[in-house]
Amino acid sequence: MRLKYLLAVTALMSTLGGTAYAQQNTTLDLVEPIAEYKIYVSEKLQQLVTDTKAFTDAIKAGNVDKAKSLFAPTRMSYEAIEPIAELFSDLDAAIDSRADDYENGEKNPEFPGFHRLEYGLWEKNSTDGLAPIADKLLADVTLLHQRITDMALPPEKVVGGAAALMEEVAATKISGEEDRYSHTDLWDFKGNFDGSEKIFILVRPLIEKNDPAFVKKVADNFNTVGTTLAKYKSGDGYQSYDKLTDDDRKVLASAVNTLAEDLATLRGKLGLN
Amino acid sequence: MNGSDDRLPPRSRERRHFLLGMGAAAGGALAAPAALAATQANAQTQDRAGNAGTQHHVTDAPTGDASTEGRWPFYGDFQQGIITPRPAAGMIAAFDVIAKTPKDLEGLFRMLTERLAFLTQGGRPPDLDPKLPPADSGILGPVVAPDNLTATVSVGASLFDSRDWLKPLKPRHLQRMTRFRNDALDAGICHGDIAVQFCANRPDTNIHALRDVMKMMPDKLVLRWKQEGSVPVIPPRPDGRVESARNFLGFRDGSANPDAGDRALMQRILWIDGARGEPAWAERGTYQAIRIIRNFVERWDRTPLGEQERIMGRRKSSGAPFTGTTEFDAPHYAGDPHGTVTALDAHIRLANPRTTGSEKNLILRRPFNYSNGVTKSGQLEQGLLFICYQADLEAGFITVQRRLDGEPLEEYLKPIGGGYFFVLPGAREPGDYLGRTLVEAVRAGNASPT
Ligand code: HEM
Repeated sequence: MRLKYLLAVTALMSTLGGTAYAQQNTTLDLVEPIAEYKIYVSEKLQQLVTDTKAFTDAIKAGNVDKAKSLFAPTRMSYEAIEPIAELFSDLDAAIDSRADDYENGEKNPEFPGFHRLEYGLWEKNSTDGLAPIADKLLADVTLLHQRITDMALPPEKVVGGAAALMEEVAATKISGEEDRYSHTDLWDFKGNFDGSEKIFILVRPLIEKNDPAFVKKVADNFNTVGTTLAKYKSGDGYQSYDKLTDDDRKVLASAVNTLAEDLATLRGKLGLN
Repeated sequence: MNGSDDRLPPRSRERRHFLLGMGAAAGGALAAPAALAATQANAQTQDRAGNAGTQHHVTDAPTGDASTEGRWPFYGDFQQGIITPRPAAGMIAAFDVIAKTPKDLEGLFRMLTERLAFLTQGGRPPDLDPKLPPADSGILGPVVAPDNLTATVSVGASLFDSRDWLKPLKPRHLQRMTRFRNDALDAGICHGDIAVQFCANRPDTNIHALRDVMKMMPDKLVLRWKQEGSVPVIPPRPDGRVESARNFLGFRDGSANPDAGDRALMQRILWIDGARGEPAWAERGTYQAIRIIRNFVERWDRTPLGEQERIMGRRKSSGAPFTGTTEFDAPHYAGDPHGTVTALDAHIRLANPRTTGSEKNLILRRPFNYSNGVTKSGQLEQGLLFICYQADLEAGFITVQRRLDGEPLEEYLKPIGGGYFFVLPGAREPGDYLGRTLVEAVRAGNASPT
């Protein structure tokens, strides 16, 4: 990394002859992390399509229990890359919007996606009428995969995604309102934190030298989240959100708010606008 | 300060001297020139207030302040925001605390003190690289004006109960607020490990302070609930007459409040000293009771005036008791044993029967009116953010509230939130911090009462 950095600086100095190079070289240094992140996103999307297929198949086969068991693990790959998925707001709304986004909530026939299926499976304990919604979800997820594969990821969106994921959790997830029918919120948390930490880990070498205290503080907070969530592991996944104690909810809330504050400086630290 | 004292009613003169004395004492303890300047500026504010002749009860109506440069001293034996005249805007913010060790708690108190010292005195937050989020929300502009902001920090029973190393140091009356008979407490707006009372001339100044604390300390404090309130501003009257502000039932609130300018009285009813069986660290602190009390204002407004006055025990227009002509006349119950003049169950008579012994139950009230929106039934959700201070929570708020249980006013009230807290002793000078005596007591393993 160090050698590459020097080479990049020398190359830029000779072409730019001065002042703007500091910013230029960080952008250049971001090339590799972003390429790596693109691979991460592709893998998650691949997984999301495969899992959504199995999940929606179960619904269409009328298998409520199986569909329930596949709901939370399927969502995790989506949650990990949510800020990138949100670049396509039409698809994000179709895939992941909540009843509150619609007048009359669940009764509104336009309420689509994962949470509409979650509502049917848990509240109604049935797959009745869910098949068309399941088909649409699979189609949307597949389209999302295609669109993202075809695009170049904007560096500021990738780096900004680390904080954006924490803002999501801080604003509307810590309350347990995301998966309000299934109470599988801790799975989503895990997806969000993993996705955010991935970005942090990829750019970490670029800031470690200049700002070791910052890097340590962020890493410590990710650890706090990791150990707190680990208490609620159950099999391959997590216990119901109701099981989260008040104390642990506070610890998570504090870690999320702190990560949101700190990661909000990541773009600036890397010279991105 | 220029011989104009003669124009003032005696009470205001006393008060002015008291306030100036307080400023001077704080100034003497300060070393940093900037802080000294802040204290002097503050003395001017207080002088202005004194000259207007309008302040002797904390609950006198705020007269309005065109300047945002007024400051109250942050450092002192006692925390600010208790005997400080109540300004137009108030807020209580209750937090949960993330602190596993005494070191964590010390870090929290030090940082909170540093933020509040800055916010209450004002100044310019640092300019950062525009690629970074700005250091300050900017809602008060590039320079933070003090705007008479006070911040008062208190701790709840849960802070002690959930930490073995703090348990033995809990103040003796500090407890989790429990339900009184008319209460319908909503857990979402009750209790907390720490409460901060912000008061300022403008609500934005309180909001700015809250956002600053939340932004700077997310790893230590998690917001639990908050309630804002206000007091109507009444411009100074030409005749210098003082009045109490009205609450949302239309009555003057605060008329019979103890005189905050009376040092001996405040020592007796407010401040913890060595003679109260409290842990030594708690000296110079006081208890704070907070109640969010909804008022059924539609129903109240449909109640005959005579009945409203009977229920309160005072005239609505003047605020005077039935045995007097101005709101500051003391009510007399001695010649009225059957309640023919002032009903035996009138709010003020139950709250303070003025019998021998009842002076032990005096409290200093410092409430704000709140207005929150509309209930599901389409009624106004408004009421009183009741805040009171006393040296003994049992003898003070709890006893008074028990006496009020069952009062006719209850039909128009529903207490829905709040909590009991203990106000930490003041931070005495720069370098000192709120909570220091508690942290030191933890370190010393010294839990025995004085
Ligand atoms: C929304 C609820 C309340 C309203 C509207 C209200 C209103 C009033 C009014 C209009 C007065 C007369 C003026 C004055 O001296 O301030 C008064 C006095 C007083 N109130 Fe309340 N009050 C409320 C709640 C409480 C509570 C919860 C307490 C304490 C437990 C309390 C304790 C007192 C005391 C001690 C006095 C002074 C009595 C005296 O010394 O003569 N009040 N209140």
